[in-house]
Amino acid sequence: MTTIDVDWTRCDAHGLCSRLLPEKVSLDEWGFPVVDGREVEPGLVKAARQAALACPALALRVQSS
Amino acid sequence: MTVLADHPTASVASIGEPRLLAGVAEHGRVDHTQHLRLHGTPVLRRRSWLATALEDVNLLGRGGAAFPVAAKLAAMPAGSHVSVLLNGSEGEPASRKDRTLMTYAPHLVIDGAIVAAHALDTRRITIVVHDATAHDSLVRACDERTDAGDVRVVRTHDGFVGGEIRAVVNGLNGDRAVPPGRRVLPHEHGVDRRPTFASNVETFAHVALLARLGTSGYARVGATTEPGTSLLTLIGDTSHHGVFEVPNGTPLSVLLPPSPAPVLIGGYHGVWVRSAGQLVLDRAALRAAGSPLGAGVIARPHAGTCVVSEVVRVAQWLASESAGQCGPCFFGLPALADDLAALAAGAGPERADAALRRLALVRGRGACSHPDGSALFIGSALETLAPELAIHQHHGTCGLPPSTVLPLPKGLS
Ligand code: SF4
Ligand code: SF4
Repeated sequence: MTTIDVDWTRCDAHGLCSRLLPEKVSLDEWGFPVVDGREVEPGLVKAARQAALACPALALRVQSS
Repeated sequence: MTVLADHPTASVASIGEPRLLAGVAEHGRVDHTQHLRLHGTPVLRRRSWLATALEDVNLLGRGGAAFPVAAKLAAMPAGSHVSVLLNGSEGEPASRKDRTLMTYAPHLVIDGAIVAAHALDTRRITIVVHDATAHDSLVRACDERTDAGDVRVVRTHDGFVGGEIRAVVNGLNGDRAVPPGRRVLPHEHGVDRRPTFASNVETFAHVALLARLGTSGYARVGATTEPGTSLLTLIGDTSHHGVFEVPNGTPLSVLLPPSPAPVLIGGYHGVWVRSAGQLVLDRAALRAAGSPLGAGVIARPHAGTCVVSEVVRVAQWLASESAGQCGPCFFGLPALADDLAALAAGAGPERADAALRRLALVRGRGACSHPDGSALFIGSALETLAPELAIHQHHGTCGLPPSTVLPLPKGLS
């Protein structure tokens, strides 16, 4: 199972993750990502990994277990 | 029930025989000679004995999270490289029980540390403490005895969030005393980045008692589900003021004479309830009832005072305590404090809806439990204080004098 989570001590609300992965990440009123903690569908895992690599703050993490 | 006379300076009392605070009502600070008379030297037990005993008496951590101490011990490797860490930083602003325990019964705390260190085959013991008097009492206690040469007492200078165990560990290791962004736990990376058995100071005092009394002796007092006693800090319109040692299983109504005023259980990460009702002092039961005991604070404003204004004051303080690391906490808590202030000044239901939406946006979205705990405090206030808030909405005020029972560290008023 693959999930997304955010290291809140790093995230700077760049919002890039939401643009790259709108299916899984929305932004709150302050521009911080809202992720629901649910499993990332197999078809989106690659996009999720790309979003994590693109995060300028290295705050987005994609974990598989 | 015997309520011991308050010590003039200690303001401690108990229901039944005090255990942790034995001798304090009579003598004030229990020095080493008195401690030996009351408790003897620490009873050193093997790790396997301690593991079983902790499990049998269901000892739960006393810092707030109520994590089973037996499980914490089970996760630890042993050996001279591991550390024992006693958290006496007491970040919860309303709590006084830890500094009271360390000030008046320092030797029992040290005994517990020695018992735990022996079971883990190490000599590395660190006690972190914020309060100056408690710090001095511990340092003096180490000098009064000959078996505490390895005990390191460290004074910390951090607030609510800095008192969280992982923040304490960061501070001890020379890093900024804030919670880490990644899931690192003290039993893996603790003091000196080595495995560390860490818990609240009251937990260790119970470990000392358990080692001395044995399982059945320890369990002679308290509830079957959670034997022993607990230290509580009682504030405001309660049966006693200050630190109270109470057998687990005691109905909370004993501590709260009848009043229409709401009750805060657990402190500033705690929950407002309309009344204590049938609640009893049992950590698992209180958690199941949605009002966890936290660090043992029970507070009630006086009837005829404005609780709403007091909630606003605490919410503003909670917002100011955000360590500023995590956006949703740093922006969300001040926004929520503003929502509460607006509701107190008469804002309509759409503002209450906005607050509920924001509560969902701060919960679970930070590196530590500060946003969750603050959301618990604010969310339960919105729900429980609905009648008071309705009066504020209609009149812009309730006309009552503000409640001022909840203490805040200097800075905000
Ligand atoms: S891209 Fe990274 S820094 Fe930007 S909002 Fe997303 S997680 Fe935060
Ligand atoms: S959640 Fe809040 S208090 Fe906790 S580390 Fe992040 S910013 Fe600091």
